[in-house]
Amino acid sequence: MKSYFVAAVVSILLSSCLKQSIPDAMLASKNSGGATATLSYKVNGNAVNISVANAESQDTNYYTLGCTKSTGGYSLDGLSSSGEIAFTFYTDSLAIGNYIYTANYGDMYFVSYNAQAEYVHGPTDSMSFNITSYKNGLISGNFSGQLTPLVTASTINNIFGVSGSTLITNGSFQNVPVFY
Amino acid sequence: MGKRPLAVFVLFSIAIQANAQLGVMKWVGPNSNKYDLGFGGFIKSGFPVSDGSDLTLELGANIFFMNDGYGTADGTIMCPLKAGYRYTLDGTGTGFYVEPQVGFNLVGVTSLHDANGNQINLNYHGVVFAAGTGFLFTAWNAPFDLNLRYETVIDHGGSNNFISLGISRYISFGKRNTGY
Repeated sequence: MKSYFVAAVVSILLSSCLKQSIPDAMLASKNSGGATATLSYKVNGNAVNISVANAESQDTNYYTLGCTKSTGGYSLDGLSSSGEIAFTFYTDSLAIGNYIYTANYGDMYFVSYNAQAEYVHGPTDSMSFNITSYKNGLISGNFSGQLTPLVTASTINNIFGVSGSTLITNGSFQNVPVFY
Repeated sequence: MGKRPLAVFVLFSIAIQANAQLGVMKWVGPNSNKYDLGFGGFIKSGFPVSDGSDLTLELGANIFFMNDGYGTADGTIMCPLKAGYRYTLDGTGTGFYVEPQVGFNLVGVTSLHDANGNQINLNYHGVVFAAGTGFLFTAWNAPFDLNLRYETVIDHGGSNNFISLGISRYISFGKRNTGY
């Protein structure tokens, strides 16, 4: 009997040497494997960079960089200190490929930079996102666009600036989580 | 997780109906500052193997609520099933005893909120070790067990440790003159 009790006490003492509770250990394991999501681009040559560590652990309702399934498609959104970028992949099933939005579909907002909203509006405007990788719930790829600044927003007729005067270049995104 | 009064009431009701045990518990070690006092209810039975010792079997349910500002929404529930060897120090089957236990945590759930305000439910199992001491006595012709034990659940590289103070109306299968 004595040996059983000693064995039990030793086991308990050894287990007490563990520095984490089970929940902490599980969370640490979960977070340590989290990917860092990045998105970068230039607005008329001005760089915008977004980086989020452990991006999969973001609040799915209020995230900095992610892609959410919505009605009719998947909405990729990124927030930065200078503004935001938003792009909707109009598909029922997100997959590797090129997704283009042109002016033929009507005016559409995509970028805000220093409080200036940029739209696909002019006849030659477009925004193109190319998903080159989709693994483990993370998408990566590149994008570019030609947009038109919205000068004055109106409920009747928006007033736009010079058509196609905003260029989105060097667009790249890596490990952006897709939330369902 | 339900409301605290309801949980305590349910535990109390189960314990009374099953002639089982009630305990108050204190989380110790990692994360101990995050938890209030816990409560437990469990059924314990014994099979005499000699005049002074029993093999015991115990099924419990332990509830700990967190003090992280989310009220009773956050906390931990564990349901360990343990086998033990209870040895009374004077060899009579009554009075003071020591009891090492080993077992398996059938259900382990910790609900908490992460830094982004998302509720997370962590599910686990794990092996259980416990070492306890207590006092067997008779009151109103019924055998009772007042006990203190240290218990640890180990899983995912972490451990949940707690101290429990409990009293039970003990159930014994088998013949012994003392009735314990």
